[in-house]
Amino acid sequence: MNQNSNPTAASGLYVDPVTVEVIGSALSTIVEEMGKAIVRAAYSTNIKERQDCSTVLFDAEGRTIAQAERIPIHLGSLLGIAEYVLKHVDISTVEPGDVFVGNDAHTGGGTHLNDIVFLEPVFFEGELVAWVTNLAHHSDFVDRGHKHIFQEGLRIPPIRLYRKGVLQQDVMDLILLNCQVPRERINDFRAQMAANRLGVQRYQALCTKYGKEVVKAASAEILNYADRKTRAGIAKIPDGVYEHSCRFDSNLVDEVMDLKVRIEVRGDEIFFDLSGNPEQVRAPINMVYTATLATVYFAVKTLVDPDIPANSGFHRPIHVAAPEGSLFNAVEPAAVYSRTDPAQRLVDLIFAALSKAIPEEVCAACTGGGLMTFSGIHPRTNRFYVYNEMCGGSMGARAGKDGLDGVQVHTTNTANIPIEALEFEHPIMVERYELVKDSGGPGQWRGGMTIRRKVKALDHTATVSAGGTNAIVPPWGLFGGMDGTTTNVELGEGVAPLHRRVGQVGPGQSIAMVASSGGGYGDPKKRDRALVLKDLREDRISEEAAREIYGLEL
Amino acid sequence: MLKDRGSRFRVGVDSGGTFTDICIFDEEKSEVFVWKISSTPSDPSEGISEGVAQGLGAMPGGGDPASVVYFGHGTTVGTNALIQGRGADCGLITTEGFRDVLEIGRQKRPELYSLQSVKAPILATRDKRMEVRERVLFDGTIAQELNEDDVRNAVRELKAKGVKAIAICTLFSFIEPGHEKRIREIVLEEIPDAFLSVSHEIAPEFREYERTSTTVVNAYLGPVMRTYLDRLTPRLLEAGISAEPHLTQSNGGVISCETAKNQPVRTVLSGPAAGVTAAVELGRATGIENLITFDMGGTSSDVALIDRGQPQMANDIVVHGYPLKVPMLDIHTVGAGGGSIAYVDNGLLKVGPRSAGANPGPVCYGLGNEEPTVTDANIVLGILNQTHLLNGRMAIDAEASKQAVARLAEQLGIGVMEAAQGIIRVVTANMAKAIRVISVERGYDPRDYTMLAFGGAGPIHAARLAKELEIPKLLIPKHPGIMCAIGLLQADLRTNISLTRMSPLSLEALPMIEAGFAQLRERADEWFEAEAIPPAARTLRLAIDVRYGGQAYELTIDWPEDSTGEALIKAIRERFEGAHKQLYGYIAEEEPIQATTLRVEAIGHVPKAELKRYPPAAGKAEDAIVGTRKVYLPELGSFTECPLYERERLGPGHVVAGPAVVEQMDSTTFILPGQKATVDPYLNLLIEWKA
Repeated sequence: MNQNSNPTAASGLYVDPVTVEVIGSALSTIVEEMGKAIVRAAYSTNIKERQDCSTVLFDAEGRTIAQAERIPIHLGSLLGIAEYVLKHVDISTVEPGDVFVGNDAHTGGGTHLNDIVFLEPVFFEGELVAWVTNLAHHSDFVDRGHKHIFQEGLRIPPIRLYRKGVLQQDVMDLILLNCQVPRERINDFRAQMAANRLGVQRYQALCTKYGKEVVKAASAEILNYADRKTRAGIAKIPDGVYEHSCRFDSNLVDEVMDLKVRIEVRGDEIFFDLSGNPEQVRAPINMVYTATLATVYFAVKTLVDPDIPANSGFHRPIHVAAPEGSLFNAVEPAAVYSRTDPAQRLVDLIFAALSKAIPEEVCAACTGGGLMTFSGIHPRTNRFYVYNEMCGGSMGARAGKDGLDGVQVHTTNTANIPIEALEFEHPIMVERYELVKDSGGPGQWRGGMTIRRKVKALDHTATVSAGGTNAIVPPWGLFGGMDGTTTNVELGEGVAPLHRRVGQVGPGQSIAMVASSGGGYGDPKKRDRALVLKDLREDRISEEAAREIYGLEL
Repeated sequence: MLKDRGSRFRVGVDSGGTFTDICIFDEEKSEVFVWKISSTPSDPSEGISEGVAQGLGAMPGGGDPASVVYFGHGTTVGTNALIQGRGADCGLITTEGFRDVLEIGRQKRPELYSLQSVKAPILATRDKRMEVRERVLFDGTIAQELNEDDVRNAVRELKAKGVKAIAICTLFSFIEPGHEKRIREIVLEEIPDAFLSVSHEIAPEFREYERTSTTVVNAYLGPVMRTYLDRLTPRLLEAGISAEPHLTQSNGGVISCETAKNQPVRTVLSGPAAGVTAAVELGRATGIENLITFDMGGTSSDVALIDRGQPQMANDIVVHGYPLKVPMLDIHTVGAGGGSIAYVDNGLLKVGPRSAGANPGPVCYGLGNEEPTVTDANIVLGILNQTHLLNGRMAIDAEASKQAVARLAEQLGIGVMEAAQGIIRVVTANMAKAIRVISVERGYDPRDYTMLAFGGAGPIHAARLAKELEIPKLLIPKHPGIMCAIGLLQADLRTNISLTRMSPLSLEALPMIEAGFAQLRERADEWFEAEAIPPAARTLRLAIDVRYGGQAYELTIDWPEDSTGEALIKAIRERFEGAHKQLYGYIAEEEPIQATTLRVEAIGHVPKAELKRYPPAAGKAEDAIVGTRKVYLPELGSFTECPLYERERLGPGHVVAGPAVVEQMDSTTFILPGQKATVDPYLNLLIEWKA
């Protein structure tokens, strides 16, 4: 069948499938080069070592044409800004060299205030043809309240930081005054600026080579391609309604909540209904709609086809309904800093619901991760420092495979900070970094083992924030597989209990972060004896577990 | 047998999975003789000694094995053992609390969106990773003394478990290696014949996971490489060759057998490095020292950038899931080769990375593959020979290629020729992307470079690829198919040693940095002595990794050896800022600069196989035309009768105007309309756009 009539090409111009592929390759190269430019030139450890940034190319109408994300929660984090600018700014006043900066989750920035977005228009032959955009997570706005967003940091709606290429120093001064580590911010901003400038040049060069109408038409066809690919994948899931609910805890709130999802697969489209979930709360575990979209997109991409380009065409067959004012569609003034807590759980819920339809494709529930932040005055430099680490846990087991040990899962995928880099930079010493015995949820296929990261404050008192979801309710197993373990912040000698994650760690004192671990898959008694023996030999499970849970005859 | 008493031979042997290429250089005549033999994978040394004997015997006039003065060898023994999991059973001794660093890695999962991904197998299993009490801090202070009883117990346990190799890696050993040294002593007391891999010797740089990984891979490969080389040397002696083999390493240089036995990790990924070495030498001979190498084979293409005669180095490379902190040429590989398969994915044309390889190979081979490949597209377009490949050695079925491409065209709703040209366009875009990685993303503009194309498929695709990237000039070497074997004859002895010394770049820190360099010089001297390199043939290059304070990416800057004190600091800052500006487009003037790692490259120059210059050709270029072929040219939208040249008949000074096809045994060169190729004195083709 000839699938190649590209009917939606804006100009009606026909572009052959070879040219579409070649231009598609060039567009993805642009966002990849932009992303690498940020990572290499960024100043702060969080962006450079953890690569906590993403880049996107929007067309003039604000549709995502190409995206290079290193962290899946960014799949949707950038969706808001182009839309916001298109809606709120008189486009006739936008000129080459204007750069918008924004971070407010409720007015088109990222999905929490640390994600600062830079958006710049691309002009070609006098016409606004595209927007280059990038987002980077800035380790700033620390030691804040989180009852509502006004406590969480400076809110910046998308505003012009540059006009016609000229820095608006007063705007910059205002932003920097509200940052705790302005020295890092200014250099990270430079990296973000450089990336966009590169994107503008590359996109213009592409237009010069092929003509802007051809690039436009090819871009539209690339969206159609992603649309077709997504539909082809969804069509393989048996039609039906799939539901699941679970309990959800976070040490940022007192109560344990009930979360649920209802999914309908109808032909080549998929509908997510998130009604009936809790109202938004006065704690930072709310998700704005774009964060929910990102999370759902992540789940669909992993189940349907990991190779689908993350553009607006991919979004088309996916429909998400979440009532305004609820946890999954929070509105002003909801605090959103720790949005990955519910996001990780939402992915688990989607997998569990669809496990009835596609048991081979999903995994058991995974870790929610554990966030650990140390801050204070560095005794060697007398400067304020922030050490921020998203500690991984492990993945739930899969049909035919154990879950991965010691990883980040789902919407996060940030690297750890090498101990030998960390200790050189910060007044901190890592005492242990290890996998935790008996932590993987037992099953025919075992959930992954979680990590313990034990950290000591040297010669100063640090303010710490440590914790995560799953402190009460562990990640569940599937098909007879057992639960993983709960999240635990192990307090060293003399450390007072943390309140809402926050506390003080004095000189020589330490805490250890142990995030929850993934659930098992299938009955542990059915686990291959050779694998049980191997786990025992490698000290991954105790003799007791081997005997009692796996039924090994010793 | 000894007909040529005066000749001295330099031999290069590139031993791959399928074939062993042998390249013999006659120093007297400055001529290269080439031989090929099937590899003997169970014991590669067999095929090597047999092939060299055959090659010498087949030379005009015969060659005496006793006259072989140099033996350069590229081997995939280490790489294959790593890929196929055939390394030694190995153990690891590390700091208490950190045995899982090797397994946790950077805590990232291998693939972002696949729920089915698995980590690369861990080479030292958890029961063989032993912890000992000790701790060194970032500044070299000992926070906890080494507990020697722990070490002894650990070694005894590893011995009982039957490990053949032991890796030692403790935190901050690159600053203070005392504990690692003592652990080594204890291991040797307990197991005198253990293969040892110690992190401060293998990769004395910060970042514990990457250093541990490198040290463990080295341990894993040690016994394998030792066994291999212990077989090869006697076999060569039996064949009458007494020259000791020199092995290529991933930095493009060679090392002695002894070094290769102790540091086999340096030979991983050495295969494509020899091709880059040959390119550097070719650049030197021709005076074209800004090159982008494009080596396209059956399943993949390797690309690298040579700037002012210097190939670019990469310090962080991941090989089959294992990060390796060993000096490697910055060679980027993309799954685009002659055997790459073209298919339709939801309405768009995709090419590769799946490949039909050599067997079953392209559709035209008739060995069972029915999906069109890049080679099939070239047959349909008329660029490749329509009846035979490899100079008539291999018959092909051009009609089968055409039918396969036609099926693809049908699915896409386009014409057959559009589909064939489409395959070329898509694979060209994929390769262009790879070249952007090593040029644009590193701050180099490809338009300032000449593309050097080799490998069986490189010269066919080079013209279009260069055009895509606006690279103005193309160079096709005389023997595109054996560049790696030629490179083996031209590699210097080379070792890169490093030492992490984190400090602010300041006058106060200079003594520490200089002491670090003094240590490295000492190690370089030991190496020069061990390799018996005469003082006149020694070169040292000093460099330093620097970054803005707190940054995580360093830039390697040449150490300004001619200045001291304030001037030295200033010179480093200037060089760093220049490089930073080139790569990132800005300078953070107010920020302090930090030194991280000191690097010394020690080079022992060996006499090179000097390329021969040929006198201007006597006849006309037209005399090299052996026929014509109808080639489809999208520029004209039709088939055009193109002249067919035989490469061997072209001589210096000949000019070939495009469109034209130049055939030779190991490759085919395609020259586009509007281009002209000039034959240089080394018999290279230099292709440029006509004025």
